Amino acid sequence: MASSYKGLDLFGSGAHRFALGRQAQFVVSDFTLGGYSGNTVPLGLFELDVVVRGRLVAATEAGLWSLRDAVAAQLIDPPDAGTLVDLHGRTWADMSFIRYEESDRVDRGRVWSVGYEALFRRFAVTP
Amino acid sequence: MLVLNPRLVTFGGETWEDVAAVAVDRAATRLIEEWSDNGPHAVLVDAPEQRVTVRVVQEPSGDAPGAPLPGESGEFVVFTAPASGDTGRLRVSCEAVVTRVEHEVSLRRGSVRTVWLTAVSADGANDPITVEDAGASVS
Repeated sequence: MASSYKGLDLFGSGAHRFALGRQAQFVVSDFTLGGYSGNTVPLGLFELDVVVRGRLVAATEAGLWSLRDAVAAQLIDPPDAGTLVDLHGRTWADMSFIRYEESDRVDRGRVWSVGYEALFRRFAVTP
Repeated sequence: MLVLNPRLVTFGGETWEDVAAVAVDRAATRLIEEWSDNGPHAVLVDAPEQRVTVRVVQEPSGDAPGAPLPGESGEFVVFTAPASGDTGRLRVSCEAVVTRVEHEVSLRRGSVRTVWLTAVSADGANDPITVEDAGASVS
């Protein structure tokens, strides 16, 4: 099945893979909080991140720009959470699209393509 | 592409003698290989950056001073030499830069000079190698 974000197939033009970000407690040392011990203090869980890495692929330069623009159009301020679905139907609700970074060049071979990394986050406090 | 015993080889307007073979090799200098979350096999392979190398093998019969120098550039032209007549004769050409010159001497093979050139595209999009029907343009 196709992946989607807010029901849009943003990444289906090329191969893409999903990965979870760090899942952990945010722990700081007591010393940084003004104490005088080597103890650490848990401040809470990190927010959930899902990273999509892949490549947008088109037959023409214009086609590739359409794909790039469609992805960039989902970066909005303030973030508006939506549902992210991977290639196998795994669903993450309330995910905000917060970063889209392309590789250092557009590749012009048999097809036009560009690698990318897209970051989605489930904010604990809605912006 | 491989041209054995070419009829004529020139570089920058100068004729190169005793050429036994010209080979045009192609390689991807940057290769894209992508896998998906669906399985173990690559779903996209592309070669967006490529290098076309022309290798000229000369077998000089005697001393051969005046070898080309790395960095020299010019039009490289080779005419194929079909077995009989001019039918099917081709003119293969490209703008090229000399990148390497090597000599080898052995009892079995005699003396061999190999010159490597990298073909240069005029605009990056078109293939740097041009192949034309030469007809009877070379005697």
